[in-house]
Amino acid sequence: MTRRARPCALASLLLLAALLTPVVGSAREYLQLFVTQPYLELHTGPGRGYPVFHVVPRDESVDVLFRRTDWFKVRTEHGVEGWATLADMQKTMLADGTPFKFDLGDRAGFTSHRFEMGIFAGAYGGANYVSAYGSLSFNSQLALEVAAGQFLGRFSNGITGDIGLAHVIAPEWRWSPFLTLGLGEVHTEPKATLVQPADRTEPTAYVGGGVRYYLTRRFFLRAEYKAHYVFTKRNQNEEADEWKAGFAFFF
Amino acid sequence: MESRIRILLLTAALLALCGCATVRNWFHHGSSNASAAGDTSQDEAPPRVVEPEVERRKIKVAKIRSSNFELGANYGVLSIEDFGAHPSYGVTAAYHITEDFFFQADVGRSTGGLTSFETLSNINLLTSSERRFTYYDLSLGYNFLAGEAFIGRGFAMTSAFYLLGGFGGTDFGGDTKFTVNFGAGYRVVPVDWLAVHVTVQDHVFQSSLLGTTKLTNNLEALIGTTVYF
Repeated sequence: MTRRARPCALASLLLLAALLTPVVGSAREYLQLFVTQPYLELHTGPGRGYPVFHVVPRDESVDVLFRRTDWFKVRTEHGVEGWATLADMQKTMLADGTPFKFDLGDRAGFTSHRFEMGIFAGAYGGANYVSAYGSLSFNSQLALEVAAGQFLGRFSNGITGDIGLAHVIAPEWRWSPFLTLGLGEVHTEPKATLVQPADRTEPTAYVGGGVRYYLTRRFFLRAEYKAHYVFTKRNQNEEADEWKAGFAFFF
Repeated sequence: MESRIRILLLTAALLALCGCATVRNWFHHGSSNASAAGDTSQDEAPPRVVEPEVERRKIKVAKIRSSNFELGANYGVLSIEDFGAHPSYGVTAAYHITEDFFFQADVGRSTGGLTSFETLSNINLLTSSERRFTYYDLSLGYNFLAGEAFIGRGFAMTSAFYLLGGFGGTDFGGDTKFTVNFGAGYRVVPVDWLAVHVTVQDHVFQSSLLGTTKLTNNLEALIGTTVYF
Protein backbone atom coordinates (compact mmCIF):
# COMPACT_ATOMS: atom_id res chain seq x y z
CA MET A 1 0.00 0.00 0.00
CA THR A 2 1.45 3.34 -0.99
CA ARG A 3 1.73 6.28 1.35
CA ARG A 4 -1.13 8.11 -0.31
CA ALA A 5 -3.44 5.14 -0.47
CA ARG A 6 -3.18 4.40 3.24
CA PRO A 7 -4.93 7.59 4.49
CA CYS A 8 -7.54 7.09 1.76
CA ALA A 9 -8.24 3.57 2.96
CA LEU A 10 -8.35 4.79 6.55
CA ALA A 11 -10.76 7.57 5.62
CA SER A 12 -13.03 5.18 3.73
CA LEU A 13 -12.98 2.78 6.69
CA LEU A 14 -13.93 5.62 9.02
CA LEU A 15 -16.72 6.63 6.64
CA LEU A 16 -17.99 3.06 6.58
CA ALA A 17 -17.83 2.94 10.36
CA ALA A 18 -19.75 6.21 10.57
CA LEU A 19 -22.39 4.85 8.21
CA LEU A 20 -22.72 1.63 10.15
CA THR A 21 -22.76 3.27 13.60
CA PRO A 22 -26.50 4.01 13.79
CA VAL A 23 -27.26 0.42 12.84
CA VAL A 24 -24.66 -1.56 14.76
CA GLY A 25 -24.45 0.75 17.76
CA SER A 26 -28.14 0.71 18.47
CA ALA A 27 -27.85 -1.56 21.49
CA ARG A 28 -30.27 0.56 23.50
CA GLU A 29 -33.52 -0.45 25.03
CA TYR A 30 -36.43 -0.77 22.62
CA LEU A 31 -40.05 -0.13 23.36
CA GLN A 32 -41.80 -3.37 24.25
CA LEU A 33 -45.43 -3.78 23.21
CA PHE A 34 -47.89 -6.60 23.89
CA VAL A 35 -50.35 -7.93 21.35
CA THR A 36 -53.96 -7.65 22.57
CA GLN A 37 -55.75 -8.56 19.33
CA PRO A 38 -55.94 -12.23 18.30
CA TYR A 39 -52.72 -11.70 16.32
CA LEU A 40 -50.40 -9.05 14.88
CA GLU A 41 -49.50 -9.36 11.20
CA LEU A 42 -45.90 -8.84 10.12
CA HIS A 43 -45.12 -7.81 6.54
CA THR A 44 -41.80 -8.26 4.76
CA GLY A 45 -41.57 -4.53 3.96
CA PRO A 46 -42.99 -1.15 4.98
CA GLY A 47 -45.99 -1.12 2.66
CA ARG A 48 -49.36 -2.82 2.18
CA GLY A 49 -48.05 -4.43 -1.02
CA TYR A 50 -45.46 -6.49 0.81
CA PRO A 51 -46.75 -9.91 1.86
CA VAL A 52 -47.58 -11.02 5.40
CA PHE A 53 -45.05 -13.68 6.39
CA HIS A 54 -45.54 -14.05 10.14
CA VAL A 55 -48.12 -13.45 12.84
CA VAL A 56 -47.49 -12.70 16.49
CA PRO A 57 -50.16 -14.33 18.72
CA ARG A 58 -52.04 -12.54 21.48
CA ASP A 59 -50.15 -11.80 24.73
CA GLU A 60 -46.74 -12.13 23.10
CA SER A 61 -44.57 -9.06 22.95
CA VAL A 62 -42.61 -7.29 20.23
CA ASP A 63 -39.71 -4.85 20.46
CA VAL A 64 -40.14 -1.75 18.28
CA LEU A 65 -36.86 -1.21 16.43
CA PHE A 66 -37.71 1.89 14.37
CA ARG A 67 -40.40 3.50 12.23
CA ARG A 68 -40.62 4.34 8.54
CA THR A 69 -43.70 6.39 7.52
CA ASP A 70 -46.72 4.50 8.96
CA TRP A 71 -44.83 1.26 9.50
CA PHE A 72 -42.93 -0.06 12.50
CA LYS A 73 -40.08 -2.54 12.25
CA VAL A 74 -40.56 -4.94 15.15
CA ARG A 75 -38.78 -7.99 16.57
CA THR A 76 -40.72 -10.79 18.21
CA GLU A 77 -39.68 -12.72 21.32
CA HIS A 78 -38.37 -15.42 18.97
CA GLY A 79 -36.19 -13.00 17.05
CA VAL A 80 -38.37 -12.73 13.92
CA GLU A 81 -38.23 -9.23 12.43
CA GLY A 82 -40.98 -7.72 10.31
CA TRP A 83 -43.08 -4.65 9.62
CA ALA A 84 -46.39 -3.84 11.32
CA THR A 85 -48.75 -1.00 10.42
CA LEU A 86 -49.47 1.93 12.69
CA ALA A 87 -53.17 0.96 12.71
CA ASP A 88 -52.32 -2.51 14.07
CA MET A 89 -49.70 -1.20 16.48
CA GLN A 90 -52.23 1.16 18.05
CA LYS A 91 -54.17 -1.90 19.18
CA THR A 92 -51.21 -3.14 21.24
CA MET A 93 -50.45 -2.14 24.82
CA LEU A 94 -47.47 -1.21 26.93
CA ALA A 95 -46.15 -3.51 29.66
CA ASP A 96 -48.17 -1.61 32.30
CA GLY A 97 -51.41 -2.30 30.45
CA THR A 98 -51.98 1.15 28.97
CA PRO A 99 -52.76 1.26 25.25
CA PHE A 100 -49.95 2.29 22.90
CA LYS A 101 -50.57 5.67 21.31
CA PHE A 102 -48.50 7.26 18.57
CA ASP A 103 -49.00 10.79 17.32
CA LEU A 104 -48.36 11.41 13.64
CA GLY A 105 -50.05 14.81 13.64
CA ASP A 106 -53.67 15.91 13.43
CA ARG A 107 -55.97 18.89 12.86
CA ALA A 108 -55.20 20.25 16.34
CA GLY A 109 -51.54 20.34 15.35
CA PHE A 110 -52.46 22.15 12.13
CA THR A 111 -54.28 24.79 14.16
CA SER A 112 -51.41 25.32 16.58
CA HIS A 113 -47.79 24.38 15.93
CA ARG A 114 -44.29 25.77 16.22
CA PHE A 115 -42.58 25.31 12.83
CA GLU A 116 -43.61 25.04 9.17
CA MET A 117 -41.62 24.26 6.05
CA GLY A 118 -42.65 23.91 2.44
CA ILE A 119 -41.79 24.15 -1.25
CA PHE A 120 -43.60 25.94 -4.04
CA ALA A 121 -43.75 26.35 -7.80
CA GLY A 122 -45.23 29.43 -9.40
CA ALA A 123 -44.57 32.68 -11.17
CA TYR A 124 -42.60 35.76 -10.17
CA GLY A 125 -42.98 38.85 -12.36
CA GLY A 126 -43.95 36.62 -15.28
CA ALA A 127 -40.98 34.27 -14.85
CA ASN A 128 -41.11 30.68 -13.63
CA TYR A 129 -40.48 30.50 -9.92
CA VAL A 130 -39.28 27.83 -7.51
CA SER A 131 -39.23 28.64 -3.82
CA ALA A 132 -39.09 27.28 -0.29
CA TYR A 133 -40.10 28.74 3.05
CA GLY A 134 -39.81 28.16 6.76
CA SER A 135 -41.86 29.69 9.53
CA LEU A 136 -41.74 30.06 13.30
CA SER A 137 -45.12 30.52 15.00
CA PHE A 138 -45.43 32.74 18.05
CA ASN A 139 -49.02 31.60 18.58
CA SER A 140 -51.68 29.95 16.45
CA GLN A 141 -52.24 33.18 14.50
CA LEU A 142 -48.90 35.01 14.19
CA ALA A 143 -45.75 33.63 12.60
CA LEU A 144 -42.37 34.84 11.38
CA GLU A 145 -41.65 33.60 7.87
CA VAL A 146 -38.48 33.35 5.83
CA ALA A 147 -38.63 32.47 2.13
CA ALA A 148 -36.08 32.08 -0.64
CA GLY A 149 -36.69 31.48 -4.32
CA GLN A 150 -35.24 31.40 -7.78
CA PHE A 151 -37.02 32.85 -10.80
CA LEU A 152 -36.09 31.82 -14.31
CA GLY A 153 -37.56 33.93 -17.10
CA ARG A 154 -37.10 34.91 -20.71
CA PHE A 155 -35.59 38.31 -19.91
CA SER A 156 -33.91 37.72 -16.60
CA ASN A 157 -33.06 35.17 -13.96
CA GLY A 158 -32.59 35.86 -10.30
CA ILE A 159 -33.04 34.94 -6.68
CA THR A 160 -35.30 36.39 -4.02
CA GLY A 161 -35.22 36.40 -0.25
CA ASP A 162 -38.07 37.52 2.03
CA ILE A 163 -38.60 37.86 5.76
CA GLY A 164 -41.93 38.89 7.20
CA LEU A 165 -44.94 38.21 9.34
CA ALA A 166 -47.91 36.03 8.56
CA HIS A 167 -51.27 36.40 10.24
CA VAL A 168 -53.54 33.36 10.07
CA ILE A 169 -57.11 34.64 10.17
CA ALA A 170 -58.85 31.42 11.21
CA PRO A 171 -56.28 28.78 12.17
CA GLU A 172 -58.95 26.23 13.14
CA TRP A 173 -60.48 26.05 9.65
CA ARG A 174 -59.41 23.35 7.21
CA TRP A 175 -59.30 26.02 4.48
CA SER A 176 -57.38 28.55 6.50
CA PRO A 177 -56.71 32.01 5.00
CA PHE A 178 -53.77 34.18 5.99
CA LEU A 179 -52.20 37.59 5.28
CA THR A 180 -48.50 38.40 4.95
CA LEU A 181 -46.37 41.52 5.19
CA GLY A 182 -42.61 41.85 5.01
CA LEU A 183 -39.34 42.94 3.48
CA GLY A 184 -36.89 41.29 1.16
CA GLU A 185 -34.23 41.49 -1.48
CA VAL A 186 -34.15 40.51 -5.10
CA HIS A 187 -31.01 39.78 -7.10
CA THR A 188 -31.68 40.09 -10.83
CA GLU A 189 -29.45 38.90 -13.64
CA PRO A 190 -30.80 40.35 -16.89
CA LYS A 191 -30.09 38.35 -20.03
CA ALA A 192 -27.36 39.75 -22.23
CA THR A 193 -29.65 40.92 -25.03
CA LEU A 194 -31.29 43.60 -22.88
CA VAL A 195 -30.15 47.20 -22.57
CA GLN A 196 -29.08 46.96 -18.92
CA PRO A 197 -27.02 43.81 -18.64
CA ALA A 198 -25.54 44.56 -15.18
CA ASP A 199 -26.66 42.36 -12.32
CA ARG A 200 -28.43 44.24 -9.56
CA THR A 201 -29.56 43.60 -5.99
CA GLU A 202 -32.47 45.65 -4.76
CA PRO A 203 -34.54 45.84 -1.57
CA THR A 204 -38.19 44.93 -1.72
CA ALA A 205 -41.30 45.08 0.40
CA TYR A 206 -44.33 42.88 0.02
CA VAL A 207 -47.91 42.46 1.07
CA GLY A 208 -49.88 39.36 0.32
CA GLY A 209 -52.29 36.68 1.30
CA GLY A 210 -53.13 33.09 0.71
CA VAL A 211 -54.81 30.00 1.93
CA ARG A 212 -53.69 26.78 3.61
CA TYR A 213 -55.54 23.50 3.24
CA TYR A 214 -54.98 20.69 5.74
CA LEU A 215 -54.35 17.36 4.00
CA THR A 216 -53.49 14.71 6.59
CA ARG A 217 -51.17 14.08 9.54
CA ARG A 218 -48.61 16.91 9.43
CA PHE A 219 -49.11 17.96 5.83
CA PHE A 220 -50.98 20.75 4.12
CA LEU A 221 -51.19 22.58 0.80
CA ARG A 222 -50.47 26.24 0.64
CA ALA A 223 -51.15 28.77 -2.11
CA GLU A 224 -50.32 32.43 -1.89
CA TYR A 225 -49.95 35.72 -3.65
CA LYS A 226 -47.42 38.44 -2.83
CA ALA A 227 -47.31 41.93 -4.34
CA HIS A 228 -43.64 42.96 -4.27
CA TYR A 229 -42.49 46.57 -4.49
CA VAL A 230 -38.89 46.72 -5.73
CA PHE A 231 -37.04 49.88 -4.64
CA THR A 232 -34.73 50.51 -7.58
CA LYS A 233 -31.98 53.11 -8.06
CA ARG A 234 -33.64 54.15 -11.29
CA ASN A 235 -36.34 56.75 -11.73
CA GLN A 236 -39.22 54.43 -11.03
CA ASN A 237 -39.79 51.70 -8.54
CA GLU A 238 -40.99 48.40 -9.91
CA GLU A 239 -43.73 46.00 -8.98
CA ALA A 240 -43.59 42.25 -9.27
CA ASP A 241 -46.42 39.81 -8.67
CA GLU A 242 -45.61 36.47 -7.08
CA TRP A 243 -48.08 33.60 -7.39
CA LYS A 244 -47.22 30.21 -6.03
CA ALA A 245 -48.68 26.97 -4.74
CA GLY A 246 -47.00 24.13 -2.97
CA PHE A 247 -46.77 21.53 -0.31
CA ALA A 248 -45.83 22.11 3.32
CA PHE A 249 -45.64 20.39 6.66
CA PHE A 250 -45.63 21.48 10.30
CA PHE A 251 -43.81 20.15 13.33
CA MET B 1 -87.71 -18.11 79.27
CA GLU B 2 -84.38 -19.39 78.28
CA SER B 3 -84.23 -17.16 75.30
CA ARG B 4 -84.96 -14.12 77.48
CA ILE B 5 -82.09 -15.01 79.76
CA ARG B 6 -79.88 -15.45 76.75
CA ILE B 7 -80.83 -12.00 75.38
CA LEU B 8 -80.19 -10.48 78.81
CA LEU B 9 -76.78 -12.10 79.08
CA LEU B 10 -75.83 -11.05 75.55
CA THR B 11 -76.92 -7.46 76.23
CA ALA B 12 -74.83 -7.44 79.39
CA ALA B 13 -71.83 -8.80 77.56
CA LEU B 14 -72.25 -6.19 74.79
CA LEU B 15 -72.46 -3.36 77.32
CA ALA B 16 -69.36 -4.68 79.07
CA LEU B 17 -67.46 -4.63 75.77
CA CYS B 18 -68.61 -1.11 75.03
CA GLY B 19 -67.61 -0.14 78.52
CA CYS B 20 -64.15 -1.57 78.06
CA ALA B 21 -63.83 0.40 74.83
CA THR B 22 -64.90 3.65 76.48
CA VAL B 23 -62.71 3.30 79.52
CA ARG B 24 -59.70 2.36 77.44
CA ASN B 25 -58.17 5.82 77.74
CA TRP B 26 -58.77 6.08 81.51
CA PHE B 27 -55.80 3.89 82.19
CA HIS B 28 -53.55 5.45 79.50
CA HIS B 29 -53.67 2.48 77.19
CA GLY B 30 -54.77 4.57 74.21
CA SER B 31 -52.31 7.39 74.82
CA SER B 32 -49.38 5.03 74.89
CA ASN B 33 -50.54 3.58 71.54
CA ALA B 34 -50.96 7.07 70.09
CA SER B 35 -47.51 8.14 71.21
CA ALA B 36 -46.04 4.93 69.78
CA ALA B 37 -47.72 5.63 66.47
CA GLY B 38 -46.43 9.20 66.53
CA ASP B 39 -42.87 8.14 67.29
CA THR B 40 -42.51 5.53 64.52
CA SER B 41 -41.05 8.02 62.11
CA GLN B 42 -38.47 9.22 64.63
CA ASP B 43 -37.37 6.17 66.59
CA GLU B 44 -37.99 2.82 65.03
CA ALA B 45 -40.62 1.40 62.72
CA PRO B 46 -42.65 -1.48 64.12
CA PRO B 47 -41.47 -4.70 62.51
CA ARG B 48 -43.66 -5.65 59.58
CA VAL B 49 -45.20 -9.03 59.71
CA VAL B 50 -45.01 -9.60 55.94
CA GLU B 51 -42.51 -7.83 53.70
CA PRO B 52 -44.12 -7.32 50.27
CA GLU B 53 -41.85 -8.85 47.70
CA VAL B 54 -43.70 -7.59 44.63
CA GLU B 55 -41.86 -4.65 43.09
CA ARG B 56 -43.91 -2.21 41.10
CA ARG B 57 -42.93 -2.32 37.41
CA LYS B 58 -41.57 0.92 36.14
CA ILE B 59 -42.42 1.39 32.46
CA LYS B 60 -39.88 3.45 30.63
CA VAL B 61 -41.36 4.29 27.25
CA ALA B 62 -38.39 4.14 24.90
CA LYS B 63 -38.45 6.59 22.02
CA ILE B 64 -39.05 5.11 18.59
CA ARG B 65 -36.40 6.13 16.10
CA SER B 66 -37.78 7.24 12.75
CA SER B 67 -36.04 6.44 9.50
CA ASN B 68 -37.79 8.47 6.82
CA PHE B 69 -34.84 10.21 5.15
CA GLU B 70 -32.67 8.90 2.36
CA LEU B 71 -29.37 10.39 1.30
CA GLY B 72 -27.09 9.13 -1.43
CA ALA B 73 -25.09 9.55 -4.59
CA ASN B 74 -25.56 8.37 -8.14
CA TYR B 75 -23.69 7.97 -11.38
CA GLY B 76 -24.86 7.46 -14.93
CA VAL B 77 -25.28 8.92 -18.38
CA LEU B 78 -27.02 12.13 -19.42
CA SER B 79 -27.94 12.66 -23.04
CA ILE B 80 -28.01 16.42 -23.62
CA GLU B 81 -30.08 17.19 -26.70
CA ASP B 82 -27.78 18.20 -29.59
CA PHE B 83 -24.71 17.93 -27.34
CA GLY B 84 -24.29 14.17 -27.02
CA ALA B 85 -24.41 11.73 -24.13
CA HIS B 86 -21.87 12.04 -21.35
CA PRO B 87 -21.29 10.69 -17.85
CA SER B 88 -23.25 12.41 -15.10
CA TYR B 89 -23.08 12.24 -11.34
CA GLY B 90 -25.07 13.71 -8.54
CA VAL B 91 -26.42 13.58 -5.03
CA THR B 92 -29.95 12.85 -3.97
CA ALA B 93 -32.00 13.30 -0.82
CA ALA B 94 -35.49 12.01 -0.16
CA TYR B 95 -38.10 12.20 2.57
CA HIS B 96 -40.75 9.50 2.74
CA ILE B 97 -44.08 11.05 3.64
CA THR B 98 -46.25 7.93 3.47
CA GLU B 99 -45.67 4.43 2.18
CA ASP B 100 -46.84 5.74 -1.22
CA PHE B 101 -45.43 9.24 -1.55
CA PHE B 102 -42.02 10.78 -1.06
CA PHE B 103 -40.21 14.01 -1.77
CA GLN B 104 -36.93 13.94 -3.61
CA ALA B 105 -34.32 16.61 -4.26
CA ASP B 106 -31.54 15.99 -6.77
CA VAL B 107 -28.46 17.91 -7.80
CA GLY B 108 -26.44 16.62 -10.73
CA ARG B 109 -23.75 17.57 -13.14
CA SER B 110 -22.58 16.50 -16.57
CA THR B 111 -20.74 18.04 -19.53
CA GLY B 112 -22.08 18.68 -22.98
CA GLY B 113 -20.04 17.64 -26.02
CA LEU B 114 -19.89 19.12 -29.50
CA THR B 115 -22.94 19.50 -31.68
CA SER B 116 -22.72 18.04 -35.17
CA PHE B 117 -22.49 21.58 -36.54
CA GLU B 118 -19.45 22.26 -34.35
CA THR B 119 -17.81 19.01 -35.39
CA LEU B 120 -18.26 19.76 -39.08
CA SER B 121 -17.45 23.48 -39.09
CA ASN B 122 -14.77 23.54 -36.37
CA ILE B 123 -16.51 26.48 -34.72
CA ASN B 124 -17.15 26.32 -30.97
CA LEU B 125 -20.54 27.67 -29.94
CA LEU B 126 -19.90 27.39 -26.21
CA THR B 127 -16.96 27.78 -23.89
CA SER B 128 -15.94 24.84 -21.73
CA SER B 129 -17.57 26.36 -18.63
CA GLU B 130 -20.78 26.93 -20.60
CA ARG B 131 -20.77 23.26 -21.56
CA ARG B 132 -21.09 22.27 -17.93
CA PHE B 133 -24.63 21.01 -17.39
CA THR B 134 -25.76 21.48 -13.78
CA TYR B 135 -29.31 20.81 -12.67
CA TYR B 136 -31.33 20.67 -9.51
CA ASP B 137 -34.86 19.42 -9.12
CA LEU B 138 -37.52 18.96 -6.47
CA SER B 139 -39.79 16.02 -7.20
CA LEU B 140 -42.72 14.18 -5.79
CA GLY B 141 -42.39 10.41 -5.99
CA TYR B 142 -45.03 7.70 -6.00
CA ASN B 143 -44.19 4.09 -5.11
CA PHE B 144 -45.98 1.28 -6.89
CA LEU B 145 -45.57 -2.44 -7.65
CA ALA B 146 -44.10 -3.15 -4.22
CA GLY B 147 -42.60 -6.61 -4.05
CA GLU B 148 -39.58 -8.67 -3.33
CA ALA B 149 -36.48 -9.50 -5.34
CA PHE B 150 -34.73 -12.76 -4.65
CA ILE B 151 -31.08 -13.69 -4.90
CA GLY B 152 -30.91 -17.46 -4.74
CA ARG B 153 -33.24 -19.28 -2.35
CA GLY B 154 -32.25 -17.75 0.92
CA PHE B 155 -32.02 -14.00 0.39
CA ALA B 156 -34.94 -11.68 -0.35
CA MET B 157 -34.85 -7.93 -0.74
CA THR B 158 -37.90 -5.68 -0.71
CA SER B 159 -38.26 -3.68 -3.90
CA ALA B 160 -40.55 -1.12 -5.51
CA PHE B 161 -40.94 0.85 -8.69
CA TYR B 162 -41.58 4.55 -8.42
CA LEU B 163 -42.66 7.46 -10.58
CA LEU B 164 -41.05 10.85 -10.22
CA GLY B 165 -42.22 14.26 -11.34
CA GLY B 166 -41.13 17.74 -10.42
CA PHE B 167 -39.48 20.99 -11.35
CA GLY B 168 -36.21 22.78 -10.88
CA GLY B 169 -33.51 24.61 -12.75
CA THR B 170 -30.80 23.74 -15.25
CA ASP B 171 -27.65 25.76 -15.81
CA PHE B 172 -26.33 25.14 -19.33
CA GLY B 173 -25.01 27.22 -22.20
CA GLY B 174 -24.56 30.31 -20.06
CA ASP B 175 -28.17 30.43 -18.95
CA THR B 176 -30.32 28.93 -16.20
CA LYS B 177 -33.62 27.49 -17.40
CA PHE B 178 -36.73 26.46 -15.55
CA THR B 179 -36.84 22.70 -15.94
CA VAL B 180 -39.58 20.13 -15.60
CA ASN B 181 -38.42 16.62 -14.80
CA PHE B 182 -40.24 13.29 -14.85
CA GLY B 183 -39.18 9.70 -14.84
CA ALA B 184 -39.33 6.37 -13.12
CA GLY B 185 -37.07 4.24 -10.99
CA TYR B 186 -36.61 0.89 -9.35
CA ARG B 187 -35.40 0.54 -5.79
CA VAL B 188 -34.17 -2.56 -3.96
CA VAL B 189 -33.52 -2.50 -0.23
CA PRO B 190 -31.03 -5.28 0.69
CA VAL B 191 -30.83 -4.16 4.33
CA ASP B 192 -33.07 -1.74 6.19
CA TRP B 193 -30.65 1.16 6.02
CA LEU B 194 -29.44 0.81 2.45
CA ALA B 195 -31.13 1.09 -0.95
CA VAL B 196 -29.90 0.67 -4.50
CA HIS B 197 -31.68 2.68 -7.19
CA VAL B 198 -31.88 2.61 -10.95
CA THR B 199 -33.55 5.76 -12.28
CA VAL B 200 -34.39 7.14 -15.71
CA GLN B 201 -35.44 10.77 -15.87
CA ASP B 202 -36.16 13.33 -18.54
CA HIS B 203 -35.17 16.96 -17.91
CA VAL B 204 -37.24 19.19 -20.18
CA PHE B 205 -36.48 22.87 -20.69
CA GLN B 206 -36.81 25.51 -23.35
CA SER B 207 -33.58 26.24 -25.18
CA SER B 208 -32.64 28.69 -27.91
CA LEU B 209 -28.95 27.83 -28.05
CA LEU B 210 -29.10 26.68 -31.67
CA GLY B 211 -31.03 29.59 -33.17
CA THR B 212 -34.62 28.48 -32.72
CA THR B 213 -36.42 28.24 -29.43
CA LYS B 214 -37.48 24.67 -28.72
CA LEU B 215 -38.23 22.30 -25.88
CA THR B 216 -35.24 20.06 -25.29
CA ASN B 217 -35.46 16.59 -23.78
CA ASN B 218 -32.42 15.52 -21.82
CA LEU B 219 -32.69 11.90 -20.82
CA GLU B 220 -30.65 10.59 -17.94
CA ALA B 221 -30.10 7.05 -16.68
CA LEU B 222 -28.58 6.69 -13.23
CA ILE B 223 -27.57 4.00 -10.82
CA GLY B 224 -27.20 5.10 -7.25
CA THR B 225 -27.14 4.08 -3.65
CA THR B 226 -28.77 5.74 -0.68
CA VAL B 227 -28.65 5.37 3.07
CA TYR B 228 -31.81 5.59 5.19
CA PHE B 229 -31.72 7.51 8.44
